[in-house]
Amino acid sequence: MATNARRTLFYLALLMTWEVIFRLKLWPEFLFPSPLQVLQALIDGFSEQRYVAGIVASLRRIVVGYGISVLVGTLLGLVQARWRLVDETLGSLILGLQTLPSICWLPLALLWFGLSEKAIVFVVIMGSLLSIAIATEHGVKHTPPLLIRAAETMGARGLKMYVDVILPAALPSVIEGMKQGWSFAWRSLMAGELLFVSMGLGQLLSIGRELNDMSQVVAVMLVIIGIGLCVDRLVFARLGNSVRRRWGLQTA
Amino acid sequence: MKHSGAVSRKIIGNGQVGDHIHTTTVGLNPKPVKVRLQRVSKTFSAGSGTVEALGIIDLEIREEEFLCIVGPSGCGKSTLLNLIAGLEAPETGEVWCNGNPVTGPGPDRVVIFQEPALFPWLTVLGNVEFGLRLRGEGKARRRERAMDALRMVHLHRFGDAFVHQLSGGMKQRVALARALVMNPEILLMDEPFAALDAQTRDLLHAELQAIWAETRKTIVFVTHNVREASCLGDRVVLLTARPGRIKREFCVDQPRPRQIEDPGTISLARMVLADLKDEVRKAFKEELGNGDER
Repeated sequence: MATNARRTLFYLALLMTWEVIFRLKLWPEFLFPSPLQVLQALIDGFSEQRYVAGIVASLRRIVVGYGISVLVGTLLGLVQARWRLVDETLGSLILGLQTLPSICWLPLALLWFGLSEKAIVFVVIMGSLLSIAIATEHGVKHTPPLLIRAAETMGARGLKMYVDVILPAALPSVIEGMKQGWSFAWRSLMAGELLFVSMGLGQLLSIGRELNDMSQVVAVMLVIIGIGLCVDRLVFARLGNSVRRRWGLQTA
Repeated sequence: MKHSGAVSRKIIGNGQVGDHIHTTTVGLNPKPVKVRLQRVSKTFSAGSGTVEALGIIDLEIREEEFLCIVGPSGCGKSTLLNLIAGLEAPETGEVWCNGNPVTGPGPDRVVIFQEPALFPWLTVLGNVEFGLRLRGEGKARRRERAMDALRMVHLHRFGDAFVHQLSGGMKQRVALARALVMNPEILLMDEPFAALDAQTRDLLHAELQAIWAETRKTIVFVTHNVREASCLGDRVVLLTARPGRIKREFCVDQPRPRQIEDPGTISLARMVLADLKDEVRKAFKEELGNGDER
C-alpha cells in the first residue's frame, strides 16, 4: 500500500513538473504540449476511432507474427535441444542472427514481399522467433537430469518423455522466452510501422510528426506503452509467477 | 510373521576380508533369486584418465529380501544401484533380474532417489498416477490405485496438494507411493532418507518396514548410515573403498519391526562400523596420496 502511495505521489509530481515547465513557455506550444492537451488528443483520437483502428491494425499484425514465432520458435528450440548436429550448426546461426536488431530485416522484407502486411509480419517474426527458440532450447537442456531418470525408471520413453516430462520441466524457461519475445515483437512492429506507413500505431506516430502535432505524438506513445505494459503485467507476469511458484522456483 | 526364513540366519561375523561370500551358501532363505550380478564392474572416465568405481562384484538378491548396501562415500554404492536399475551399463559382467538380462531402466525396477524427484507441475495424486498413465491405465483405475498407494504412506488426504506445499519427509513419502503404485518387482532406494531430519527419518523407517511387511517387495537400500542399514536390512553388504568390492556381509536376525535404538541394531551397527572405518581410512589415505602426486 505504501508503495502504491509513493508511486502515485511520484506520478502526480511528474505531471505537475510537466505542467509547470509548459507554463514557463520555454518552448513553443506545438513542440511542448501540456498534459491536458495530450489528454485531449487521446480523447479525440479514441472518439474519432482513429486510435482504435490503429490499435486493431497493430494488434492484428502482432498476433499473426508473434503467434507464428511462438509456434515455430518452440519447435525450433526443441529440435535444437534434441539433435546435437542442429544445435551446433543452426544453433550458432540463431545466436548470431539474434544480435541483429530485427528492424534491419525490413529492407530485405520490403524487397521480398513489397510494401505489404507480409513484410511487416516478417519483421515481427524475426524479432521474436529467435529469442523464443533460444529460451526453449535452454529450458529443455536444463531439465533436471534426476526428473528424467525418475521418469525413465517409471517407463517413460521417447515422445512421452518429451510431452510428459521435458516440456513441462522447460515451461518456466519457455514462458520467460515468450515474454522476452513479446517485447521484441512489439518493438519490431512499432519500428516497422514507423518506417513503412500503412495503418497501425506506428503510422499514427508518423502522422503526428508530419502534422507537427506533438500532443498526438505523445498520446500515441502513451497508448503504445499502455498496451506493452498491459500484456507484460497482465499476461506474462501472472503466468510466469504462477508457473514459477508451482514449479517451486520461487517461494511466496 | 511369515518371515521365518531370514530370521533363522546368523550374523556372519568373521568372513575373510575382501572375498565374496555368496548368500546361496549362507542361511536358508528358500526364496528364488531375484537379482543376480555376475562379475560386474564399472569404470568412469574422469578428465584425462578413468576412475574404477566398482571392482568385481558378485551378488545375489533373493525375492522378498531387504538388502542394505553400505560403504565409504565414493565407493560405488549408488553405481551398483544404478546398474540394477539399468540407468547405467556395467563395464564387464552381467546384471540379471528375474532371469532376464537388464538392458535399461524399466518400471519393474523403480528407483527412489535421495531427492524426491517429484514432478512439480503435477499434484501429489498426479505424481503417483504418472507411471500408471504411461502404462495406459484407465482414469478410474488409476485414481483408485494411486489413492491406495497414498493411503499406504498416510498421505491420502494430500492428493490435491502441490509438491511445493509439502515438507521434505512428505515429498519422500510421495516418491515412495509413486514407486509402490507401479507394483515393481524390486524397489531400489538410493539414500532416500539422507536429506531428512532424524525424527522424520525414524518415522519413515517404521513406515518403510510396515510397507515391506505388507507388500513383501524385494528392496535394495543404499545408505552411508550404518545404523539405518542395520535397522532395516535382512542382510547388510559392506563395500570396500573405491573401487568398491564386497568386503563383508552381515545377516540380521533381529525381530521386526526394529527401531534404530534397539540394542540388537546398535551392536550390529558397531560391528559393521568397525569394518567400515578401515575402509573410510583407506579411502581417505588414497585421496591424500593422490593429492601428493599432483
